[in-house]
Amino acid sequence: MRREGSPFTGLGVVFLKEYADHLSSIRMRVLELLMVLAGVGVVVMVILNVRKTVQRDDFLFLNLFLYQQEDSAVPSLLGTLSILVPLVAIGLGFDAINSEFNRRTMSRILAQPIYRDALLLGKFLAGLCTLATGLTALWLLIVGLGLITMGVPPSSEEVARGVAFLMIAIAFAGVWLAIAMFFSVVFRSTATAALCALGLWLFLMLIWPLLVPIIVQMVAAPDPLAARVGLLSDSQLNWFLGLSRVSPSSLFTDASLVVLQPQPEATILRNPTIGMLTQAQGMVRGGALPLNESLLLAWPPITTLIAAVIGVFAFTYVIFQRQEVRA
Amino acid sequence: MRRATLSLLFAAVLGLASPAALAADPPKGLWLTTDFPSTTARAGEVSTIRLKLQNAGLPPEVVALSVKGVPEGWKVDLMGGGQPISAAMPASNESVTLNLRVEAPGKAAAGSYPIVIQAKTASTTTELPMSLTIGGEVAAKLSVKVKLPELRGTPKSTFDYTFTVSNDSGKDAIVRFGADMQKGFTATFTEAYGANELSSIPIEAGQSKEIKVAIKLPRDIAAGSYPARIRAEADGANATSQVTLLVQGTPTLRLAGKDGRLSGEAQAGVESQLALVLSNDGTAAAEEIELAGTVPQNWKIEFNPKTVDKLGPGEKKDVVATITPFNKALAGDYQSTMRANTKGDSVSSDFRIVVGTSTLLGITGVGIIAAALLVLVGAVAYFGRR
Repeated sequence: MRREGSPFTGLGVVFLKEYADHLSSIRMRVLELLMVLAGVGVVVMVILNVRKTVQRDDFLFLNLFLYQQEDSAVPSLLGTLSILVPLVAIGLGFDAINSEFNRRTMSRILAQPIYRDALLLGKFLAGLCTLATGLTALWLLIVGLGLITMGVPPSSEEVARGVAFLMIAIAFAGVWLAIAMFFSVVFRSTATAALCALGLWLFLMLIWPLLVPIIVQMVAAPDPLAARVGLLSDSQLNWFLGLSRVSPSSLFTDASLVVLQPQPEATILRNPTIGMLTQAQGMVRGGALPLNESLLLAWPPITTLIAAVIGVFAFTYVIFQRQEVRA
Repeated sequence: MRRATLSLLFAAVLGLASPAALAADPPKGLWLTTDFPSTTARAGEVSTIRLKLQNAGLPPEVVALSVKGVPEGWKVDLMGGGQPISAAMPASNESVTLNLRVEAPGKAAAGSYPIVIQAKTASTTTELPMSLTIGGEVAAKLSVKVKLPELRGTPKSTFDYTFTVSNDSGKDAIVRFGADMQKGFTATFTEAYGANELSSIPIEAGQSKEIKVAIKLPRDIAAGSYPARIRAEADGANATSQVTLLVQGTPTLRLAGKDGRLSGEAQAGVESQLALVLSNDGTAAAEEIELAGTVPQNWKIEFNPKTVDKLGPGEKKDVVATITPFNKALAGDYQSTMRANTKGDSVSSDFRIVVGTSTLLGITGVGIIAAALLVLVGAVAYFGRR
C-alpha cells in the first residue's frame, strides 16, 4: 500500500514538541550546566594566559578556541568540546525512540496522521537544534567573554573562522546524535542503548587512539631516516590519519585545527613528516592562508562528518521502518 | 790577516755609528739659508718666506736671530712653529725651519728693499742678505692636468678622472672645483685617495694636489662621446681641462609580470602559466637572452621561448613561464625567482606563487554528501509505506 501525501506531514509538530521537551527537561539543564561550566572555565584560563603574551598574533581571538597551557592537563576548548559534545548528544538521543516504546506511546503517536519518517526526522532535528542552540550559546558566551576581557575586537575573518568552527562542532554533534538514535532504535532497553552508545564513545575516545599507532606499526613500512628523527614516514602518516579519522572526534579536531590555525606552518607542525620538509621548501613564512583555502583544506573532514550524519541517519531510518510497532 | 779583518770590522761598526765621520771633508758651521734669497712681496699683503737654520757639526747652542734693515712701515717677523721668535737652537747636524713673515705697507713704493737676517751665537755670526722686491702684481695662476682624459664606459659605470691642480702663484689659494657637462651628469670631487666629497680645497703657494672627479651618467643616455670640462677656480685665476666620456650602449633588461604583477596562482601538481614581459630599457640591443627560474625543490618551471635571440632597445617581448608545483606541495605562498641573462646584463625578479588546494576535492566532498542524501531519499522512497 502506497502512502498518501508527503512523508513529512506532522514533522513540524513532532519537531516543536520534542524541541520544547528537550529545552525544558532536567537532563538538558544538567548538560547545559556542564557545558557552560567547562566552557567558561577553559576561557577564563585562556584569557588569563593570553593576556600575558606580548607576541604579535594576527589571529589572537582564535586563541580562545585553541589555547592550551603547556604542561597542563586542562585541555583546550577544542579538546573539551570533543569530549563534551558526544556526551551531550548521547544524552539527548539515547532514549529518543525506545522510550516511546517503553511508555507505550509509540502506537498512539503513529495513530495520528504522522508518518514514521516524520517522527524519526523530527526527533533528530529537534535534538540537533537543541545541540545547536547550546553550542551557539556557548560560542556567544566565549566570544563575549573574550571581547570584554581581551579588549580586542575580532576581525571579520576571525569571526568567519569562528562561525565555521561552530558549524563543524554542530556537524560533529549531529554524528553522535545520529549514533545515539541508532542505538535507541536498535535496543528496546534505554539502558542498553545508553551503554552501547557510551561504550562506542569510550572506545573511540580512549582505546582507538591507543590502537592506531600499533596498527600503523604493523601495517605501514617504516622509513629508517624518519625513524631516526622520531617522525612518521609518509605511508605511516597516511595510515595513521586514515585510521584515526574513523573516530568522529579526530575528524572534528582535524577540521577545526585547519580552520582555526590559518598559518601554513601550522599545517606542517600538526603532522610533521620527512616528506613535509621538501613539500614546504621555498614556502614564504609568516603568511596566513585565506579563509577559502582553509575551508578547502578542512573540507574533506567536514564532508565526512556531514556524510556520516546522513549515512547513520539513513541506516537508522531503514531499521526503524522495518520494525514492528505494536501497542 | 786576522788582525786586518778585525780592524776592518771595527771600522765598519764605527762607521755605522757615525756616518759623518766617513764623509771626506764635512763642512762645519752654522748657516742660515733660504731657497729664494731674492723674492717678491706684494704691497699691503703678507708674504711668507721659508728660512732654514742649519747646524753642521757644531754642538747645540742658542742662536739669537734678528732682522736688520727693515724698511720703515714694514713689519718683518721671524716665525717658528707659528709663533714670533727671536732665538733658535738647532741640534747638532740638524736644521730648524723658520718663516719670515713680511707685511709690506699698502703704500710701499715699487723697488727693491734689502734686509739682512742675522744669526748670532756666542762665537760666530752668520748673516743672510735678502732682497724683497715690490713689483707689479703677480697674477695668481692655476693649472689643471688630467692624467687620463679619455675614458670609456657604460651608462652604469662611473667615470673617474684623476687630475693634478697646481697653484703656480706665489700665494696660498683656495681652489674651487666645478664641471661643465651635459645636463643630467653629476660630478663628485674627492681627494685622489680620500673619500670626502669636496667643493674647494686650500693649496699652498707652489704646491699641487691630486683630485679625483667621478662623473655619473643618467642610465638612459644614448651611446656616444660626451665632452666635459673640469674647472678649477681661485681668486683671479682659473684653469680648465677637457675630458671625454666615451659611452657605450648597454642593454638593460627588465622582467616583470604582465600588468606589473609579481605574483601568480597555482595548484599542487597542476601546470599553471605565468605571463611575463621581458623588456629592454637600455641603449643597445640585447642578444641571446636566456631565461631561467629558481623554484622550490620538486617544482618544475619552463619558459616559452627559452631564449630570445635579439631584443632591441625599447622593445618588449611576452614570455610565458609554465610552473608546476610539487604534487604534494602544501597550500601557502612560495617564493620563486625568474632571471633573464644576456651579455653584460642580468636581471631577476622575485615572484610569489600562491599554491591553492584543488577545488576538485571540494566537488568530491559535495558528491559524497549528495550520494549519502541519495541513499536516504532512496530509503524513504522504498520503505516509506507506513
